[in-house]
Amino acid sequence: MRIGVFVCECGTNIAATVSTGKVVDAALSMRDVLHAESIQYTCSDPGQRAVIDAIQKKGLTRVVIASCSPRMHENTFRRTVGRAGLNAYMMEMVNIREHCSWIHSDIDEATDKAIDLMQKGVARVRRQVPLHSTTVPVTKRVLVVGGGVAGIQAALDIADAGLPVTLVERGPSIGGNMARLDKTFPTLDCSSCILTPRMVEAAQHENIELMVSSEVEQVRGYIGNFDVDIRRKATCVDAEKCTGCMICQEKCPGKAPDEFNAGVGQSKAISIPFPQAVPLVAALRKEHCRLFIKGKCSVCKKVCPADAIDYEQEDRIETEKFGAIVVATGYELFDWRESYPDYGGGQYPDVVTALQYERMLSASGPNGGHVQRPSDGKEPKNVVFISCVGSRDESVGRPLCCSVGCMYIAKQAILTKEHIPDSQSYVFYIDIRAGGKGYEEFTRRAQRDFGAIYLRGRVGKIYPSNGNLVVMGTDTLSAEQVEIDADLVVLATGFAAAEGAGELARKLNISYDQYEFFSESHPKLRPVETTTGGVFLAGACQGPKDIPDTVAQASASAAKVIGLLSRGELETSPMVAAVNQMRCTGCFKCRDVCPYGAIEAVELRDGREVANVIDSLCQGCGVCNVACPPAVISLKGYTDGQLIAETMELLR
Amino acid sequence: MAIRVSSTVPGGADVVADIERRSGERVSACYQCGRCTSTCTGAFAFDYPPHRIMRMLQLGQVDEVLNSRTAQICYDCMTCSTRCPMNIDVANVIEHAKMIADERGIEGDEKEIRLFRLAFLKNVRRHGRLHEARLLTWINFRSFRPFNDLSLVPLILRRKKIHIVPPRIKNRQEVHRIFREINGGDK
Repeated sequence: MRIGVFVCECGTNIAATVSTGKVVDAALSMRDVLHAESIQYTCSDPGQRAVIDAIQKKGLTRVVIASCSPRMHENTFRRTVGRAGLNAYMMEMVNIREHCSWIHSDIDEATDKAIDLMQKGVARVRRQVPLHSTTVPVTKRVLVVGGGVAGIQAALDIADAGLPVTLVERGPSIGGNMARLDKTFPTLDCSSCILTPRMVEAAQHENIELMVSSEVEQVRGYIGNFDVDIRRKATCVDAEKCTGCMICQEKCPGKAPDEFNAGVGQSKAISIPFPQAVPLVAALRKEHCRLFIKGKCSVCKKVCPADAIDYEQEDRIETEKFGAIVVATGYELFDWRESYPDYGGGQYPDVVTALQYERMLSASGPNGGHVQRPSDGKEPKNVVFISCVGSRDESVGRPLCCSVGCMYIAKQAILTKEHIPDSQSYVFYIDIRAGGKGYEEFTRRAQRDFGAIYLRGRVGKIYPSNGNLVVMGTDTLSAEQVEIDADLVVLATGFAAAEGAGELARKLNISYDQYEFFSESHPKLRPVETTTGGVFLAGACQGPKDIPDTVAQASASAAKVIGLLSRGELETSPMVAAVNQMRCTGCFKCRDVCPYGAIEAVELRDGREVANVIDSLCQGCGVCNVACPPAVISLKGYTDGQLIAETMELLR
Repeated sequence: MAIRVSSTVPGGADVVADIERRSGERVSACYQCGRCTSTCTGAFAFDYPPHRIMRMLQLGQVDEVLNSRTAQICYDCMTCSTRCPMNIDVANVIEHAKMIADERGIEGDEKEIRLFRLAFLKNVRRHGRLHEARLLTWINFRSFRPFNDLSLVPLILRRKKIHIVPPRIKNRQEVHRIFREINGGDK
């Protein structure tokens, strides 16, 4: 056995805390270690060449590389040893950076630990055997979850590449939050004017199947081959027959909250959420329908000219196969009411969220674009905007920046002046975060050309007085307290993850942060991938972001999906479970616990039934190893022998 | 005139570190949103509103803070502390500035307010709770106005608002212990 050990200095990342020379000396004193050296940057081209040279000149058969996390460079070094003519799996990576140099400061202790880790790696690689990967065919169909601008963009990009896409949306129409916006910063483009054509395109695209009022119920399988159960929720309307005439909505006597208009105004129990909805199909909400509450009504059924109403409709579950999944579930606004009693906690009708104000400004909104304040319908003259409500606030558990509040407040201040020329806007801000292209100029315009008065400080309290609201704030630039008599107060509430985001993440087996925003695989280098292969992220479900960033990320996700599915088959990891069938008792506990359905029963020639691992399905999770009573299943590359050898080496 | 920031003020950073250690608050966490000031009930009478005090401490302008009217007259209503988005107990920070000013014998312009505060604390420490008669007498003598409000004495005595005999409370040692702990063992 000829083992080579390569100790990476990683510049000073490792060498500053670990004496790499001592690690090399320790390696050379080990049995079978014929070669050891330290290399300044092992992942660099000359570094890799040094590894290849040593393997070829000294005829090494096994290699230990002590460097960074395998998450970073395992593939790099597998390819390196592969190029040197060894089996790619005859390399063991030891993490002496994240697990050692970065977290310790004492050089002697860190060096000792690095030596321990290196020795453990040698012990393990000694028992390694060559492994060979297999391939599995991929399903060339894509699931996009969420029909906002991110989902629409990703679906269109993927569909344009010729792959069939299923776009699943929880609500009755695609369009998401962007469809609710009046204008977009910094160009003041009409939001629906730029979004509606994309919505229609998605609906009409030959490669896109729209599933509205639908949710992902369960996800099984793995990259390239997912089986997804989709719940098609009962809307009591036959989508094939409905013509979108809206007669049912006109005649319906059942009032319901208007979610599309963020609670400004009211809707009906059966409705089409907004005039540009795609598909233009009504949906009935049973919880507000008189027929379902009181047992008597069915007005909509009587008036429907298309006979599209079907009260008997029930939820259906459809199971479909997909090769990749794009998650684009977006965001919702942070519910500020409980956290901010100082701002009235929702008790003052004239304290509204920016999304509610957006609907008040919109021509498709409840007042047709005439701004009327909720309490008395009066046109407001003094409008106060408060930024960072539920953002940058540790006291309510939301220290994050919403990244768009500064911009949308500037936009709304401009729109306020356009709607009500004799109005005055006041903007309480803490820092103006306007990093995007043209953003800084836009916030300056709001002040210079539209007369918005910017006050640097946070508002402490709002209280009603004589039918108006008094806003108590600070201008930290003059270090004075400020009081403003306001007709309307608009809160720039921060972003929260969409309702049920955590639940969906668990179904998809992807990770999420404490705010339930989904985690990308690497913040810089893998920004659209998740830690689960074949599942990609787009838009605000990953973290607060504006429309340009959302669209960019959606297209990036699409590119990843197209790249993945452009191959006919995927190479699987050879680190899969294997059963020692001679000793298998056939209890099939392994089959019960396997999350991938990768274990089948086979009959041996002597008639015994034993477990067999289907290599192409096994994901190497190791659950079966633990469950097996006689311990006859092991994971290739992580055999009991290897793990015990590692442990024994550490304990020696 | 340009201000001198912490690194150039002798001992400035030390005092701020002292305030942070003794109060348990992170002065450096303040990002100057000004929410403390927005509803500060004393700001009308302060020379520096609370967010300015926090900023001055961040920059190490210790002398200005210790000599400020704010540090002398803030009456700990704690509105600032309840509003702070960074969970900083701003009133506690100002209170500790006040304590350090006292330790350094800084009298400031508001002599009577300081006199009252010190007399009050001394009184409570001695008796375990407030003994008004002694407090009032002490203040009158220390402020060189021994006959101040003397005409009210019969009335207050008759209504039993104050008592000549000091109050007796259980476990007076516990109160002493609290004082000792807050003062870091000294005095």
